[in-house]
Amino acid sequence: MINLILFTVLGLALFGSFIFIGLRDSPKGLPDSSAVLAVGQIINLEGSSFANARRLLDDTDYQVLCSNPDLRRLAERLRHDRKQLALTWLSLLQNDLLTLWRFRRFLIQRGVPSSLGEELRTVQALVLSLLLLKCIGLSIRTAGPFALPRATRQAGQLVDSMSKGAALVLGRIPAAGWAEIERSWVKSAA
Amino acid sequence: MVISLLICIAAVVLEVCTLLLLSRRSLWRAYPFLLAYVIWLVVGNSAILVSFISYLRMAPEVRAHSLYPSLYWHSDTLDVVLRFLLVWEIFHQTFPKGSGLNRSLSKGLGITAFLLLVFAGATFWGYQNYTSLRSVHLALDRSFDFVQAVMILGTLVMARYYGVRFGRNVRGVALAFGGWVSISTVNSAMVDLTNSFLPYWYYLRPLSFLVMMVAWIWALWVYEPNPPILESGTAELNQWTEDWNRTVSAARTIIRP
Repeated sequence: MINLILFTVLGLALFGSFIFIGLRDSPKGLPDSSAVLAVGQIINLEGSSFANARRLLDDTDYQVLCSNPDLRRLAERLRHDRKQLALTWLSLLQNDLLTLWRFRRFLIQRGVPSSLGEELRTVQALVLSLLLLKCIGLSIRTAGPFALPRATRQAGQLVDSMSKGAALVLGRIPAAGWAEIERSWVKSAA
Repeated sequence: MVISLLICIAAVVLEVCTLLLLSRRSLWRAYPFLLAYVIWLVVGNSAILVSFISYLRMAPEVRAHSLYPSLYWHSDTLDVVLRFLLVWEIFHQTFPKGSGLNRSLSKGLGITAFLLLVFAGATFWGYQNYTSLRSVHLALDRSFDFVQAVMILGTLVMARYYGVRFGRNVRGVALAFGGWVSISTVNSAMVDLTNSFLPYWYYLRPLSFLVMMVAWIWALWVYEPNPPILESGTAELNQWTEDWNRTVSAARTIIRP
């Protein structure tokens, strides 16, 4: 009798524990790190691979040059060059975003499962990211490259999050099939 | 009877769906023990369904000679044993062979698993369980269901403790299976505890089984295995060991100068 009561109580406690774990530890939808690396290998992301965004948008050199009246023209030239470089970088980031989106569509076209809700969220993220890049580009054109350094630097993170989205989809295929995906992607891009 | 028949049919349909999902994209290669268990479910429950239909078509006075009750209980006994394949699959997927965690934990967890099996055997062996044929099977069910639920929960808790991440496949299968064997433990204990629970027993266990199968289908719908466990290189581990030993000896020097 006692052991039956004990089994009932312990069984209920176990069931409660499974429910608790199920509700508490829901997966965050993070991609596998090997899938993230694979996406980086399959797609050449020129914009996000640029590591010196902080230096590009740092105005210390410009301020030093401006402090000397004889070097004002040189400072203006530096500002102009930096502006062009920042705009080129933003354009590369924009291309990265579009390439990642195309790659995602390519994977789904090849039968990798995805839900409509997930696709709509991706399109929404892409549109917002492109709009943000356009806004940053506009601010660089009008106010110069040093006006919004923090926001401009964070533009690279938009590509990172899009890249993780693509890695999440790629991770749904067994790793053995990634080489074949890479070959098909290169063929379709050519 | 109609409800029982519908549950039997739904179970076989859901099991076939799970088998199809496993065969799609060669998912079975990643989960061979799960595949073996699902094949057993399809075969065993199809046989039970066929015998149940023939049982229903028999005249009430000859039903006592039907194959159905004996087949049901014997397949249930075999099922109790084969469920350990699933426990092994979940452990093996969470702590893959060759990983550092597997090397560190496998011995301790193996001893714990053995002790749990001894516990299950001891609780099953209790003579008060043998009052009727039904009680023997119920005792077998609750003892081993309980132990299997503890093994699954232990694996999940250990994985959480060491920060091992789960993919949707293993997580869904483990949680649904753990939930079902927990309910089954409670169910088979309650039936022996009070006969008034008997009418519910006929539906609660199979219905919770159907819920488990639906959860498995959801879990296996996309291929999402556990992410690989990232391990440090030998040089880095040696450096950590050296640092750790230096810290311990420094602490000893401070405590006992």
